[in-house]
Amino acid sequence: MSSSSQFLDPARGTFGRTVFVCGLLLLALFVVLVIGAVVGSQRLPVTNVLCALTLRSDCGLSSDQQAILFDIRLPRILLAGAVGMCLASAGAAYQALLRNPLAEPYLLGVSNGAAVGTMVALVFFGAHEWSRPVMAFVGALVASFAVYQLARSRAGASPERLILAGVIVTTFLSSAIVFITTLMDATRIRSFTFWLLGDLSGATTRLLTIAVVVSILGSAVLTAYARPLNLLMLGERDAFDLGVEVGRVRLIVFLAAGLLVGTSVASSGSVGYVGLVVPHLVRLSFGSDNRLAIPASAISGAAFVVVADMLARTLIAPRELPVGAITALIGAPLFIYLLKRG
Amino acid sequence: MLGVGGIFVFTRHLSDLNVRIAIVSLLLFCVLGLSSGCNRRTTPSRDIAESGQREFTDEAGRKVRVPGNVTRIVSLAPNLTEIVYAVGAGNRLVGDTEYCDYPAEAKQVAKIGDTMHPSIERIIALRPEVVLVSTASQLEVFTKQLDEQRIAVFVTNPRSLEEVFHSIETLGELFGTRDQASVVVADLRKRAVTLEGAIKQVKPLKVFYQVSGEPLYTIGREAYLTDLVRRAGGVSVTADVPGAFPRFSDEAALAARPDAIVLPTGGSMGAANSTVATPLKNSPAVLSNRIYKINDDHLSRPGPRLLDGLEEMARALHPEAFKQTQ
Repeated sequence: MSSSSQFLDPARGTFGRTVFVCGLLLLALFVVLVIGAVVGSQRLPVTNVLCALTLRSDCGLSSDQQAILFDIRLPRILLAGAVGMCLASAGAAYQALLRNPLAEPYLLGVSNGAAVGTMVALVFFGAHEWSRPVMAFVGALVASFAVYQLARSRAGASPERLILAGVIVTTFLSSAIVFITTLMDATRIRSFTFWLLGDLSGATTRLLTIAVVVSILGSAVLTAYARPLNLLMLGERDAFDLGVEVGRVRLIVFLAAGLLVGTSVASSGSVGYVGLVVPHLVRLSFGSDNRLAIPASAISGAAFVVVADMLARTLIAPRELPVGAITALIGAPLFIYLLKRG
Repeated sequence: MLGVGGIFVFTRHLSDLNVRIAIVSLLLFCVLGLSSGCNRRTTPSRDIAESGQREFTDEAGRKVRVPGNVTRIVSLAPNLTEIVYAVGAGNRLVGDTEYCDYPAEAKQVAKIGDTMHPSIERIIALRPEVVLVSTASQLEVFTKQLDEQRIAVFVTNPRSLEEVFHSIETLGELFGTRDQASVVVADLRKRAVTLEGAIKQVKPLKVFYQVSGEPLYTIGREAYLTDLVRRAGGVSVTADVPGAFPRFSDEAALAARPDAIVLPTGGSMGAANSTVATPLKNSPAVLSNRIYKINDDHLSRPGPRLLDGLEEMARALHPEAFKQTQ
């Protein structure tokens, strides 16, 4: 943290660099989305697909190919992008807020909180699609506050206590999940179990829309709080002395991150590893100034999950792999490589 | 991919989610390559002289030693329970699972838990000589413990109707009721031959067999159901997909354009799997209204009632063939 003073200062150039890096990443995300639309278990003619993506109607795709592209493939890659963005930006924010490199939606129990919320929604308000993201959000918030309160001591939340509290809450909520599922209607259980492992297929238009909107808005809110988060990385006490309204910042970051994680879990279950690996990769590459790290994590996270899902869809087509397995398989070696090199 | 198939079939009879989480982890293991290329033929071999023990090779290729006279049997799957009763060893069944509901007597047998989470203590307490298991993936959990208790574990894993017949005959041999098993199999085989004659002239339909709609699962190369669809006058559009019960891509399902869709549902499944998966909604099968719901218990339990399932499927796919013969 020796270079911290350099980014506490609203220095010239930071903004320009952020715009430049994020612009490049957005370009990469766009390229990855297009590739994701072209590649799939069904081979579609590339030029016709590229033509159809510009929303022209006379591209020579059969009605089946049209349906594959627009009803199945595009919603899925958009959901993958939204989920990646949610998890990565939430992970980046948790790491900064809690001053803990291991802080991540799964380790903190936030994902499990969201999963319990979603299950409660399914059991009690099954008919209302809106109830899933809303209850997931509530679950994520309850879990994150519980962890924070458990971890808290006089000097703020110490990294060790935080991880311990996260593990305890995660375990408790896992048991709650098992408990609720035993009470559930047997016909729902199977699809539910797959959902728990992360499943990007078959999201409804409404859930997809919610996920895309929330991922962008939530990441924007976290980016807006990047400067106080930079100061918080010095410790809550120091940040307070430097004029940060610690309580308010913490509340808003918890709310935004909870909303992001909740939305992601409600629409696709648990896709692991993204919230941990992506922000670290971004920090290793571009430094730890949150004004860059948070938006860059959001965009890279989206690209990362789109690529992981592309592999999950195509490696053993027409069968499919769980996307969470791919995120871990790519994420861990990449992470180790960058860590060793850095 | 031996494990995936059997396990998935059995998930349809499970009502406990716990179990399903275990199943999912097993599925993952299988996906990651824990497949077992196993010995397909099961053969009873020579008696082991003095002890009166006999040695069998089960359908996972394991050598299994059982006493000359098997008097106490535990079954860990509904289809195996049905076979035990069919071959006339029902009175020796001392334990089965919560999903074993056929024949009705099976419900009265002591329950040892469910297929994925059997209670090892209860099994041992029942002092069986043989425990019947439907997939190899169940084995690791307790084989060692049962071995220590000198309880034999016999695995079945049929991949075609013929192999189902073979399982029935082998189990008959194992229980010393070979004659009754032969009668049962001869009867089933006769029905299969009659059916074959009835649908000889039909043009095979492209069939999509929907094991589950969300997430989308179907039958693959190694499933006995792929053979069954063929015998019912269909061609499974997923017959070449590796594995027994693969997780199938939505896109590929849409592109498959099946003429007919078989939905195994009802029976102990209740209303589960009674709607066509979204990607298939505009398939020729749906447009021509060729969606056939068939009792899941007759299709998902590779045992004596599989012929019922086969006949129901053939009649559904080709009603015209049966009008002529009646």
